[in-house]
Amino acid sequence: MTERFPLSRRSFLATAGATAVTGAIGAPALAQTANKPLKIGMVTSLSGPFTALGESMRAGMQMFLAENGGKLAGRAVELIVEDDQAKPDEGVRKFRKLLGQDNVDIVSGVISSAVALAVRDVVTEAKALTFISAGSANDLARKAASPFVFRPTKTNWMLGHTAGQWAFEKLGKSGCLTIAADYAAGRESVSDFVASYQQQGGKVGKQLWAPLGTTDFGPLLTTIAAERPEFIFSFFAGSDAVRFLRQMREYRLHGKVKLIGSGALFDQEDVVSAVKEAALGGLNTCNQSPTAPSSAAFTKAYQAARNAMPGEMGTAGYVTGQVIKAAVERVQGDLSNKEKVKEALLAKEVETVFGPMPFDPRNNQAILDIYVNEIKEGAGGPVNQVIHTYKAVRDPGPVA
Amino acid sequence: MGFYAVQSLNALSFSMLLLLTGLGLSVVLNLMNFVNLTHGSFFLLGAYVGVYWLASGAPWWLAFPVAFVAAGLAGFLLERFPFRQFYARTHLMQVLLTYGLSVIFADLMRWGFGAQILSAEIPEALRGVVFIMDMPFPIYRLFIIGFGAALAFALWFVIDRTIWGAVVRACVTDRGFVETLGLDTRRIFTAVLVISAGLGGISGALGAGILSAYPGLDEEVLILALIVVVAGGLGTFRGTVLSALLLGFAMTFSKVWVPEFSNVVALAVMAALLVALPEGLVARKVRQV
Repeated sequence: MTERFPLSRRSFLATAGATAVTGAIGAPALAQTANKPLKIGMVTSLSGPFTALGESMRAGMQMFLAENGGKLAGRAVELIVEDDQAKPDEGVRKFRKLLGQDNVDIVSGVISSAVALAVRDVVTEAKALTFISAGSANDLARKAASPFVFRPTKTNWMLGHTAGQWAFEKLGKSGCLTIAADYAAGRESVSDFVASYQQQGGKVGKQLWAPLGTTDFGPLLTTIAAERPEFIFSFFAGSDAVRFLRQMREYRLHGKVKLIGSGALFDQEDVVSAVKEAALGGLNTCNQSPTAPSSAAFTKAYQAARNAMPGEMGTAGYVTGQVIKAAVERVQGDLSNKEKVKEALLAKEVETVFGPMPFDPRNNQAILDIYVNEIKEGAGGPVNQVIHTYKAVRDPGPVA
Repeated sequence: MGFYAVQSLNALSFSMLLLLTGLGLSVVLNLMNFVNLTHGSFFLLGAYVGVYWLASGAPWWLAFPVAFVAAGLAGFLLERFPFRQFYARTHLMQVLLTYGLSVIFADLMRWGFGAQILSAEIPEALRGVVFIMDMPFPIYRLFIIGFGAALAFALWFVIDRTIWGAVVRACVTDRGFVETLGLDTRRIFTAVLVISAGLGGISGALGAGILSAYPGLDEEVLILALIVVVAGGLGTFRGTVLSALLLGFAMTFSKVWVPEFSNVVALAVMAALLVALPEGLVARKVRQV
C-alpha cells in the first residue's frame, strides 16, 4: 500500500519544471540537487492491531506537510507511506524497500517497539537518517541506540518513572496495586514505575498481569474489589485499555479507586474518546497532552481536520514532521553530509507540539517534558488536562 | 465466599457469550456440515449495529433483534452466493472460501465503521450493580446470563423437540430422501444459515456492552468459538453448552489464581480435553459421512 502525499505530486511537477528551466539556462549544479524533491518514507501500521494509531500518525504527518505547502527548506516533499502491519519482519521489508527501491532521503514512523528494534540494523547499516516516531522500548535509547537514528518520542522509563514520583507524592505511600498487559511494554512500564515508587519508600501490594487482548477483565476486577487498594497503576493500550476502563466502571471501581497509568491508558484520541465518562478522574503521565500550551494551535487544527482531539500518535506524526523540518532547514536542504545534519539537529532544541525538544547527544533520544494529565470534563467531552509538568526528563540512556 | 460466588457469576457470564457465539457456528457445522469462518464477521457486524443502535436513542431492547436481522440478512445474501455453491465441497475448500471472505469483510467494516474502538452505551436500566455478599456484580452481565440461557434453550428446543428441527436434522443425514418428501432442502439450508448468522449478530450486540467493537474482534471471537465447538464435539448441542461452560470457567478461574498464565492454562485444559476425548465432550453416535 503506497500512498503519496497529494500536494507533492503537483508541487513536484512544478519544481521539476523549474529545475528543467534553470538547468537549460545554465544554473549551477549545486542548486539542482537542492531543488530535487525531498523523499520522506514513513512506515506505520495501517492494518493489524495498531490500525487506528497508524492512521492518526499518517494524518499528523500529512497535516504538517500540508501546512508547509508540501515544501521543506524550499524542496518539494514526496511522502511515501508504507504499512508494517505491526510485524517486525514486515517492517524490515518495508524499510528495505524504501531505502533500496524508492531511494528516500529520510525514513520515519514506526509504532511498535518490536518493529523499531527489528529495523535498527537495517537503517544503521544503510546509514539512513531515521526518525522513530513512537517505539518506546527502553532499549531503543540504550543498547540499540544508533548514530543516525533520532527518537523524537518518549521511552517507557520516562513515563513509568514520573508516574512513580507523582504516585508517591500525591496518591499514597502504600496500598498500591498494579495491573498491566502482559507483554514487553507492560512489563517494562510497571517495573520502571515500581522501581521509582519503591526508591522513594512506597510499598507495592499485589501485581496482576492480563494477557494481551484480554476480553473479560471481570475476574481480575473482582480480585481488585476484594483487595481494596488505595490506588492502581496500570498499563494497557488500545482496545485493552478501552475494555479495562469500561469494565472498571461496570464493576463500580471507577471513582472509588484512583487510577494512574502510562499515557496510552488514557490516550485522548484512541481511548478517552471511546470510553468517555469512564475515563473521568484518571491520571496519566505522558509526553503529549492536547491541553499543553505547546499543543494549543495544533489541537485546534487537528480537531478541525479530523473531528477528534489529538492523541499521542496523531501528534507524534506531526512532531516527526517538525523535527525533520528543523533538521532539513538547519542544513539548508542539503542532506548529503549526514554528520552535519546530526550536528545541526543536536546543536539546539526543536520547538515541537510535545514541547521544547532537545536531543541527548549520547543516544539521539529526545529529552522531553512529561505531563501529568488528569481526565476532566471539557467542552467536547472528557479531556486530558495538564495538572503538572516534569521538565526535561532524560532517559538514563546507554549507561542504564 | 462472596468472592467465589461473584467469580462464578463472572465465569457464567463469559461462558454465555462463548455459548451464543459457539452456537451460531455449531448450528451450521453440525446441521449443514459447512465450516463457516465468516462467523466472526457476523459477530462484529452485530457489535457495530448494537453500538450504533444503543447510541441512537431508539428503544434499547430493539438493538438485539435489529442486530439479529442485520447479520441474518448478510447471511441470507451470502448463502445465495457463494456459500450454496460450496456445501458439497470439501472442508478445506470451505475454509479457504470463508476465511478469504472474512478478510474481505474485516476490510469492508474497517472502511465503513472506521478503525477506532467503539464502545456501546449500556442502557440505563442495566447499568447498575448488585451486591452479592458485599461484592459488586454488574446487572448487565446478569442480563447476558439470562438472555443467553433463554436463547440457548429456545434453540435447543426448536432443533431437538420440534418437527422443524427434525426436518433440518433429516436433511443432514439424507438430503435426497427429504427432497422425495416434497420439501425444498435449499430453503431449509438457507433458513439455518440465516439463523446462524443472526445468532452471531445478536451475540455481537450483547457482547459489545462488555467487549466494545473494533477491527480484529472478529478474529478473536472466531477462535474462541472454534475452540468451543471443536472441544464440545461436532454434532452435539449439549457438547457445545458443556464446553462453553468449561472454557468460560477455565479462563475465569485461571485469571483468578494464575493471571500471568491464564491463557496457557485455559487452553491447556481444552487441549488436554481433546487428547483425552478426541471426539469432543459429547460424541455424536451417528456415522460421519
